[in-house]
Amino acid sequence: MNGELQHLIAMANQIAANLRPAAADDAAAAELVAKHIRLFWARSMKAQIIDYVQTDGTELNQVVKLAVVRVGIGSLTDLTNLEATCQK
Amino acid sequence: MLHYHEPDRDYGTPAPAATANTVSLVVDAVAVSVPEGTSVLRAAALAGINIPKLCASDNLEAFGSCRLCAVQIEGKRGYPASCTTPVEDGMQVSTQTEPVARLRRNIMELYISDHPLDCLTCPANGDCELQDMAGVVGLREVRYGFEGANHLQAEKDESNPYFTFDSSKCIVCSRCVRACEEVQGTFALTIDGRGFDSKVAAGDNESFMDSECVSCGACVQTCPTATLMEKSVIDAGQPEHSVVTTCAYCGVGCSFEAQMQGDQVVRMVPYKGGAANHGHSCVKGRFAFGYATHRDRLRTPMIREAIDQPWQAVSWEEAIAFAADRLRAIQQRHGRESIGGITSSRCTNEETYLVQKLVRAAFGNNNTDTCARVCHSPTGYGLKATLGESAGTQTFDSVMQADVIVVIGANPTDAHPVFASQLRRRLRQGAELIVIDPRRIDLLHTPHRHKALHLPLRPGTNVAMINALAHVVVNEGLEDSAFIASRCETEAYQRWRAFISEPCHSPEALESATGVAADAVREAARAYGRARNGAIYYGLGVTEHSQGSTMVMGIANLALATGNIGREGVGVNPLRGQNNVQGSCDMGSFPHELPGYQHVSDATARGRFEADWGVKIDDEPGLRIPNMFDAAISGSFKGLYVQGEDIAQSDPNTSHVEAALGALECLIVQDIFLNETAKYAHVLLPGSTFLEKNGTFTNAERRINRVRKVMAPLAGKEDWEVTVDLANALGYPMDYSHPAEIMDEIARLTPSFAGVSYAKLDNLGSIQWPCNDAYPEGMPIMHEREFPIGLGKFAITEYVATSERTNRKYPLLLTTGRILSQYNVGAQTRRTANQTWHDEDVIELHPHDAETRGVKDGDWLGISSRAGHTVLRARVNDRMLPGVVYTTFHHPGSGANVITTDSSDWATNCPEYKVTAVQVEKVSQPSSWQQKFKAFDRQQTTLLQKGRRPAPEVSEG
Ligand code: SF4
Ligand code: SF4
Ligand code: SF4
Ligand code: FES
Repeated sequence: MNGELQHLIAMANQIAANLRPAAADDAAAAELVAKHIRLFWARSMKAQIIDYVQTDGTELNQVVKLAVVRVGIGSLTDLTNLEATCQK
Repeated sequence: MLHYHEPDRDYGTPAPAATANTVSLVVDAVAVSVPEGTSVLRAAALAGINIPKLCASDNLEAFGSCRLCAVQIEGKRGYPASCTTPVEDGMQVSTQTEPVARLRRNIMELYISDHPLDCLTCPANGDCELQDMAGVVGLREVRYGFEGANHLQAEKDESNPYFTFDSSKCIVCSRCVRACEEVQGTFALTIDGRGFDSKVAAGDNESFMDSECVSCGACVQTCPTATLMEKSVIDAGQPEHSVVTTCAYCGVGCSFEAQMQGDQVVRMVPYKGGAANHGHSCVKGRFAFGYATHRDRLRTPMIREAIDQPWQAVSWEEAIAFAADRLRAIQQRHGRESIGGITSSRCTNEETYLVQKLVRAAFGNNNTDTCARVCHSPTGYGLKATLGESAGTQTFDSVMQADVIVVIGANPTDAHPVFASQLRRRLRQGAELIVIDPRRIDLLHTPHRHKALHLPLRPGTNVAMINALAHVVVNEGLEDSAFIASRCETEAYQRWRAFISEPCHSPEALESATGVAADAVREAARAYGRARNGAIYYGLGVTEHSQGSTMVMGIANLALATGNIGREGVGVNPLRGQNNVQGSCDMGSFPHELPGYQHVSDATARGRFEADWGVKIDDEPGLRIPNMFDAAISGSFKGLYVQGEDIAQSDPNTSHVEAALGALECLIVQDIFLNETAKYAHVLLPGSTFLEKNGTFTNAERRINRVRKVMAPLAGKEDWEVTVDLANALGYPMDYSHPAEIMDEIARLTPSFAGVSYAKLDNLGSIQWPCNDAYPEGMPIMHEREFPIGLGKFAITEYVATSERTNRKYPLLLTTGRILSQYNVGAQTRRTANQTWHDEDVIELHPHDAETRGVKDGDWLGISSRAGHTVLRARVNDRMLPGVVYTTFHHPGSGANVITTDSSDWATNCPEYKVTAVQVEKVSQPSSWQQKFKAFDRQQTTLLQKGRRPAPEVSEG
């Protein structure tokens, strides 16, 4: 496992540890964690943690596992502008 | 002279405390009405009549020693001193009668008879109140010669690097003594001896350098003669014009007059009209400006293919084209998200705004971050979640209404000196002080303060402490129920109340965690909870923890619970480190937020920016600095544009940072010096100092201050112009002719800045945001009627101990901080005479820890943590807690961040600088990192020398 993923796992677990007390149960906590990740993590970070949950996930605590499945990744579909400037 | 508002004028004595009563009097046939308590001298000045004076100044309490301000008052005997005589209703004052004129001439004659008559060659010539007064009173002869006893041979004290003390010129008016006490709060000076023998003495008859003096310069500024004089003025002569601008060091944001000869700064004089500093300053802002013209300044753009190659000096066009080509090539190969940018908390708002715009619009991603990541990002998160706005709630002046002042994890006398002076003034007036900090900070040593309480908690237990305080407030009925009912969200409050009332949050239950006696915690909570006005000030000792954000929310909870929000004298006040940390956050530097804290996923806000900028903006957050490092090491992040930050020195776990920077294919560094980060760069773009550009800074009280250009940029471009060029080279058009236009764009797109413009700033002097239609002149005190989120929101703040813990191998806790004379990574202050005070970082430890290890003051100590190892000199100091060691990070070779770890705040990744488990032991040589650092530094300096062109000839005419 690379250092980057290791950090993401540690971050996710830490977020869950801090948000769990603010929620009534694991499911509610997972919602908070998912929201946090949705708001603050970059697309590539989300992709890595989602991938990790799907392939292994053993180092994540229960709340994070529940949370990660709720994290959707937004989309920047219209890249025309950038592509245009890249052509320059 | 360029004046932007009322010119500095000295009204002789301070304005009296606000009162409803006015008194009417007549001065030289001019009728004038003034508040009760005004002096006759001030009343006359307000009526436009200047009574001669020497010992009085309106930033000092009147003293009445020179008698030059004598007047005649109908019905009163003799010639009372107008500076110490309060006005009375119906008074008839004559300031220019013949007997008064004679008396003044006699007084001046006595002064002059013991004063060197070298006016023409005196450095104060043209700026000497003694000279002025001799002129004003019409002194024509001096009957007493120099034969008698005099002070003309008195020795000069030149120990301070910035000013001299030539006591032969002293008239013993004691203004310096009073300035040191009343303005600065240091009490370094006294008048020694009596009568003819009386003289000004620093400390215990020591030199200025050996005394308690902190070199703030308040005495120099107030001295009416050449006795206390800036060496720069002695060298250069008197300035001929001046421009009002803003200090580029700390978050106080002091206003200064840059006093100039042509394009040379002769001296910086704190500007009386500055709303943050009212004419005071510290040693950095006033004296440490010489770095701007230091020979190490980068003067030409440079490029190189690889970091082991010599730099090659090139034109701006070449450098920009080289950078743009690299960045586009990387994106072609590794994707849109493979590059990013870092904005600077030291640059202007306009520059910061442009860098994040460049990233979002031209790079096409949100990989922008700023050094606030490593200092106050938890403030943004925590305050937004609870109070609805990512900023402090007050003005600095608000502290003058506070009755109980809580200072948490901050060391204002070193890090925010001018605010500390104001705070100390309030403490001398009787406010109570509570300090929550592992160290016994200097504020606790405030002379003539009233009650103070120190809660020396263990590093890493802030949240336990704030919960214990809140527990006492709730359980002892100290809540402000009316405030909570009307201003706070009920459901969140009830949940919080149930949580915090649990016995596990009592001071007794948490005593073993915090190490602070429960009684002391209860006493502190009661003092704050019962105070008419309780104000909390906090610094990086709050934010730089694994629970930094939780702690900020805990502080907000406590203020909400006690109703200490929304008026003068109260509030939650983050003390921001660098000059424009507040501004860089406001300007959208964070990867998840557009300017004005508008989330990138907010389609409406994003839409406004997209329409204005003519591009699509990514709706997903980008990478934060630590994530950029990780991604660089794992190979997905390849190019970085860094403006005015030194991440290689300031960020934690140096080896990790070095690995990341070393892995980049294109690192573009824009800075005024070859800083540590630049040593890993491929493109060097010379930056400009605050003296060389126009713009604005936003200080810790949300105050937007103007930065005004006083000299041309050394390398030809202001920093914002460089970003503009880079954007254009990348094919994204940017077109501004002045930073004022950038501010107009900011105002257009950022609701909290809607009403801000340069014209308004020039007019008002400064503006505290939010500034919009509802608050056209800004908002000094926030949350008076409602919160931006409507109701205040209590947050659950469970204490989760940090994973960074001591054990047998690493039994001590290291915490880091700052000192007065140096600034951040020290790139600026190390290139000034401020080095005199702090030329190396040392490791402070408690005598007990020193003794068990056989360590003496001055020994070399090896410090090891889980991240690395470095060597620093030991200073044994009992202001530390046993078990806690402390260092600063102002010198790159110290490697303080070699030992700090990756551990960070759970919500924002703000590094946990304040807690690292370490071991220390005596050693005899530098660490291997330090040896490597030295070799690398030598190599990079040589590569720079090779690339440097000889400085361009300055052409005449
Ligand atoms: S420089 Fe400041 S601290 Fe030093 S003696 Fe003067 S007023 Fe006091
Ligand atoms: S040093 Fe200057 S301010 Fe101080 S007593 Fe002498 S003349 Fe007055
Ligand atoms: S460093 Fe801070 S306190 Fe000192 S002069 Fe500058 S803004 Fe003021
Ligand atoms: S100015 Fe009033 S006594 Fe000196």
